[in-house]
Amino acid sequence: MTKVEAVIQTSKLDAVKDALHEIGVEGMTVLEARGHGRQKGHTEFYRGREYTVDLIPKIKIEMVVADEMAEKVVQTVVAAARTGKIGDGKIFLSKVDDAIRIRNDERGDSAL
Amino acid sequence: MATKPNPGSELRDLYASESVRLRQDFLRTGDGPAAVFGRTSLVDSIASRLWLELISPEMEGPRDFAVVALGGYGRRWLFPYSDIDILFLHAGGAMERGLKDRIARFSQQLWDLRLKLSPATRTLAECEKFDPNNVEFAISLLDCRYLAGDRELFARLHDQVIPKLVSRESRSIVQRLTDLTRARYNKFGNSVFHLEPNVKDGPGGLRDYNLAYWLALIAAMEESSGWPNDKELLPPWLRERFDAARDFLMSVRCFLHFRHGRDDNALAWAAQDEVAEEKIGAPRAASLTASEWMRIYYGHARLVHRVAAQLLEEFPAARPSLYRQFQNLRSRLSNAEFAVVDGRIFLQREEALQDRDLPLRMFRFMARHGLSLSSATEHQMEEVLPSLAAAPPKGAELWHYLQEILVAPHAAEALRAMHSLRLLTLLLPEFQGIDSLVIRDYSHRFTVDEHTFVAIENLHALRKSQSKWDQRYAELLDEVEQPDLLYLALLLHDTGKGAKSDSHVTASVEIAEGCLARLDLDAPDRETVLFLIARHLDLSAALRRDIFAPETICMVADKMGTPERLKMLCLLTYADIKAVNPEALTPWKAENIWQLYIGTANYLMKSADERVRADADDEVMTHLRTLTPAAGKKLDSFLNGLPRRYLRTQAASDVIRHMDLASRLGEDPVQLELTRGRHWYELTLVTMDRPFLFARMAGALAAWGMNIVKAAAFSNGAGVVVDTFFFTDRFRTLELNLPEWERFKASVHDVLLDKADLERMLRDRLRSEKNVAPKVNVDTRIEIDDSSSLQSTLVEVIAQDRPGLLYRISSQFARENCNIEIALIETEGQMAIDAFYLTSGGTKLTPEHQERLRAALLAELAGK
Repeated sequence: MTKVEAVIQTSKLDAVKDALHEIGVEGMTVLEARGHGRQKGHTEFYRGREYTVDLIPKIKIEMVVADEMAEKVVQTVVAAARTGKIGDGKIFLSKVDDAIRIRNDERGDSAL
Repeated sequence: MATKPNPGSELRDLYASESVRLRQDFLRTGDGPAAVFGRTSLVDSIASRLWLELISPEMEGPRDFAVVALGGYGRRWLFPYSDIDILFLHAGGAMERGLKDRIARFSQQLWDLRLKLSPATRTLAECEKFDPNNVEFAISLLDCRYLAGDRELFARLHDQVIPKLVSRESRSIVQRLTDLTRARYNKFGNSVFHLEPNVKDGPGGLRDYNLAYWLALIAAMEESSGWPNDKELLPPWLRERFDAARDFLMSVRCFLHFRHGRDDNALAWAAQDEVAEEKIGAPRAASLTASEWMRIYYGHARLVHRVAAQLLEEFPAARPSLYRQFQNLRSRLSNAEFAVVDGRIFLQREEALQDRDLPLRMFRFMARHGLSLSSATEHQMEEVLPSLAAAPPKGAELWHYLQEILVAPHAAEALRAMHSLRLLTLLLPEFQGIDSLVIRDYSHRFTVDEHTFVAIENLHALRKSQSKWDQRYAELLDEVEQPDLLYLALLLHDTGKGAKSDSHVTASVEIAEGCLARLDLDAPDRETVLFLIARHLDLSAALRRDIFAPETICMVADKMGTPERLKMLCLLTYADIKAVNPEALTPWKAENIWQLYIGTANYLMKSADERVRADADDEVMTHLRTLTPAAGKKLDSFLNGLPRRYLRTQAASDVIRHMDLASRLGEDPVQLELTRGRHWYELTLVTMDRPFLFARMAGALAAWGMNIVKAAAFSNGAGVVVDTFFFTDRFRTLELNLPEWERFKASVHDVLLDKADLERMLRDRLRSEKNVAPKVNVDTRIEIDDSSSLQSTLVEVIAQDRPGLLYRISSQFARENCNIEIALIETEGQMAIDAFYLTSGGTKLTPEHQERLRAALLAELAGK
């Protein structure tokens, strides 16, 4: 099993979610996140005060999928989230030893 | 040889078969009280059998020992999976030791039946002693009931020990009850109106029924030092409804126990479907949806909660002395109509309720001072409601009161009380559709009406909050010119959820249109409220885009049109999201809304000089042409070259009025119009542009002692200027002397045509002004931005507001040979925030010119 963590633009959440549903990914965790990579902060002046945002709002999507699905998930996220500009986000993959469905003790891929 | 049947297995069989029968009876009848009394009798009979077999061959023996039912078991309320509280009571001495084994076997047998026994063993003397660490035991004694053993011993407990204990310790007991109740309410967000309520512990649940009973009982015992008649604990007009609510809740709790197979009292959505299907607590012939059934539930729960909360508040011992001191201070709020006692409102004269406006004045009083209605006043209100329904206050009169209630700091509490007494739906039938309405949305915690009140509460709470986010939004709230409209929009924003419509926003707008017409709001105010309702999801939706992207900002700005509407919608969005559930407004969202707000506010200011093209075919232009078909080219030539900001901020009727004033410039080169609005006077000037024009206008107003709160100056391609000044009349010159209106206008007219000595007028005025130290010191800041506009240099001046400030700033511009293309003047408290689009010789200011201007302004504003 592979854990896929995708940090994407807030505006791309609906598109990514829909695309993942299309390829059969049913479960995911969506987190409100802040961060920056090469895309740096943003400064705005208002009423003579400076408001600096060092960390840009992002969305982080986490899901664990069967190994054979991992590449398809990555391609789907990339296709749905890419604008070609700095700030499109990143995808991280890592191996997961096991998964357990708490309701009925199912394990492994069948628990996903 | 025949073997004697094992009493344990026989009792187990009895308990199992009787439990099945009770369950079947309940499923057939839905009668909760019958089921709990039935289970209580079953457990009583088992306890009696065990008593006779294990402790004594006589029900009333041995001496000096008795078994007593406590708590829910004592009051015969054994729900299918309730605990069984039992007290082994003895007189003390050797008796306890002698019976120890038998008591253990008795308890063991009950446990073996899988009854959840909570036993306690006490001597009579121990029962009399108050344990501050176990007040729950003293409370459980209030429901004690004899089961078996020495009746005389029980009688001593019941007739002597408990009344004595309660009289002596009532303050501690009630204080503890108060603490427990507050903790319990906090756990459930202090609201009855949870989408998935807990029918036992939630506000308005059975625990509240018990609380009300205990408080009434303690109060009566304190007074009589004995046990009162249960039937006299509550007034007769309340008792029937209160008991009906109890029976309803008992049936629901029974249903949940049977459904869950354990003591789980959460009325989740799936359970709501089933309970409605089974018509629990409802007429068996009725056919109810889950949502309709939940309305019945909330009706009962609301009553139970109201009575419990009132008794708690009215019980003197429930309050710490500091609280009482505070309430005594508040009793000074009493006036000719209302008496305030312990924070509760009483009517000075009951017959005053014949005055149909009195209820509204009472809720206004409540909203202003954070008081509650006494139970007597509530009852009087309920009595008078039918006659009020025949001729309710309406139109502008109703709106006047509603306005005052909505902007008062405790508006949400007053609105809740009005709603609870059915007054709100009487006055605003539009609210009926969302009364106790459950909309199944996983993120929402409350019913739609409660969500609305929480949203209003959230806005008012901003001013008291210490959080960084709240303080930013609190500043915005202080800047809103018509907060009453914002609160009204919040009150109506989700009314469409009760309509059968694909879009609750569209439905809410339609419902609000009818409501606003009935309230007789002015057309611009109606437009504002409808705008806020129609757009109430727009900022949330924009958060799902890149909030720093220029196209997102531009899109939001286009939808908002004016900074004032943006400000109001930002606050509405903040309050609305926060009212979804306590965690809904994450710091992530709060920050993003704020960033979106300031980005859009800046955009609206920096795009102010985008010009209108008369040949444009946009929505606003088309609308104006439809309104004045005869104006033809006159309209086009007037609008041509005016900033788009002008069209965004002016109502169509104002644009047409300005055009008419411009057409009369041949008769008089200075066209002035003075009107009085709700908050300010408004002076509109239409004339041809010339140097010092804006400065002279500002100076003339200052010379008359007027305080300029807002101003806007625009000019079209032909050099026609439309300046609007909003001001307050500090010395009430215009208010108190109607003839002064004409003299004032004539004076301004003369100043603008240079026929009056403005410098002398100003000197006279400043000489008569007292030097008052400002409450807040604002440092002067000057921001110059050359990139926002293609044609002008944007100069923003933030400074301490003071008489003549705008005159000094604009005179300095004129002296520095700067032409004001657009001026946007705002005052927030003691801070003036003025933005000017300047040109010099028809182009932007050079960098050297900018620095010269900055230095000159700083020098000018540094002087007094």
